[in-house]
Amino acid sequence: MLKVDGIDIFYGEFRALEAVSLKVEAGQTVIVVGPNGAGKSTLLRGISGLQRTRKGAVYFHDERIDTLRAYRIVEKGISLVPEGGRAFPYLSVEDNLRAGAYNRNARGYAKEGFEQIYDLFPILAKRRRQMAGSLSGGERQMLAIARSLMSKPKLILLDEPSLGLAPLVVDLVFEFVQKMKKEGYSILLVEQNANRALRIADYAYLVESGKLVFEGNRQDFDKNPYIKTAYLGL
Amino acid sequence: MADQIIMAFINGILLGGVLALLAFGLNLIFGVVKIIHMAYGQFVMLGFYLIYSFNAIFHIPLVPAMLLGIAAMALLGVLTQLLLINPLLNAPRLNQLLALASLIIVLENLAMIIWGADYRGIPLTLPIINIGEVFIRSSYLIAFIGAIVVLGLLYLFLHRTYLGLAIRATAQDLEMAEGMGINPRIVYYVTLAAGGALTGVVAAFFVPIYTVHPHFGSSFTIMAFVIVVFGGMGNLLGGFISAFIIGVATSVAAVLYTNELADILALILFVLVMLVRPQGLLGVRA
Repeated sequence: MLKVDGIDIFYGEFRALEAVSLKVEAGQTVIVVGPNGAGKSTLLRGISGLQRTRKGAVYFHDERIDTLRAYRIVEKGISLVPEGGRAFPYLSVEDNLRAGAYNRNARGYAKEGFEQIYDLFPILAKRRRQMAGSLSGGERQMLAIARSLMSKPKLILLDEPSLGLAPLVVDLVFEFVQKMKKEGYSILLVEQNANRALRIADYAYLVESGKLVFEGNRQDFDKNPYIKTAYLGL
Repeated sequence: MADQIIMAFINGILLGGVLALLAFGLNLIFGVVKIIHMAYGQFVMLGFYLIYSFNAIFHIPLVPAMLLGIAAMALLGVLTQLLLINPLLNAPRLNQLLALASLIIVLENLAMIIWGADYRGIPLTLPIINIGEVFIRSSYLIAFIGAIVVLGLLYLFLHRTYLGLAIRATAQDLEMAEGMGINPRIVYYVTLAAGGALTGVVAAFFVPIYTVHPHFGSSFTIMAFVIVVFGGMGNLLGGFISAFIIGVATSVAAVLYTNELADILALILFVLVMLVRPQGLLGVRA
């Protein structure tokens, strides 16, 4: 459903991504692992339209989307959960969710969306009048995921959802990612925590210094001696 | 003397309501578009002239003339976005400031060419309310009540509509707002239209109080700017509170000393607050 075809992304003169290609099929959970600063976040920003690509193309359901503005891409069904969640700090939890359902394809479903979200995340129902800025890190991450679900996405781009969270909360986040997979969402997950992410992945890519250096399923990653020592600590 | 001070205090509060409206508009534009509208007081001046012209020259009844003036100012806000702000959105801040500051000169000279240097006004006699020895001009009271009503409507707009939500989200995190499917350009146009309409509203409230001349706006540009910085840039509540502080301070000082000294005092107060609390009363340190 998603096809990234040889994209380059620059920050000024600095090339953050070089000729990166990858695919996500419908219903798949695909992960991108790699060290800090390898360009993983840049990749997600490029797909969601927050960063312009300079070369190559991005297709979603065979439609070219890298020429579209970010607010159009979310209408197509691609939703980004950025690093740290980036909930709107001075909006209430409820307004954050409402903002999630802003795009024209989602707005009509906002009401049932709220019910589903509050079922899934009872803590958000409890805090719905509270400012998002006053939530804990884990709650904010949940809110960011919930906000993304409100946009009626087909593909969810998750940027380091476990970053900076306590181990118990990380478990919760990963549990939730698996739940979304079961619900039929396609997921492109970027993680430094390679071990953890590989366990839930259908397919995986390794990015280093802006380039794809390895791809395969979990077994391929487990067997590769370089990855074993550098990323899996085996 | 005590009566005079009480009266000045009340007038300060009443005028503070209108100033709060002005500060709200300036704050909204800064908070959302991240641009300082340097010619905001000149917009009020132009709105005043438009209402005056609609009424005195084209003989449109006063209230429709005011509504027309407000609509025209909203349109001018949109045009400012289209012709001046959009091309400079990614320009250095200094260039944006200079462009908007140059609008001051453009508007004041335009007013001079069209309406001349004479004081213009619509003669209205509104009753004066007196309670004991305290006299309150009903034109001030109407302006105050009107300003509070408009502020209430703005609050509802920002908190009860999808467009209002889009404006608040954009002010907090432009990128994420776009990631929610919000088109920032539309939000900017709506913000500038609302900001422009507000100058029209303020002008309408000023019609029974003042007469207008080409430099009428300059003191309000400074006043609005002082209030907004005093309260913390982009902080709507801070602007609301400081509008009343500045309103009362200048009004009381004007009675104790003179009008000219009152403006100086307001600025001294402003400088003092900036020295102690550079982020403003309710501002957050960046």
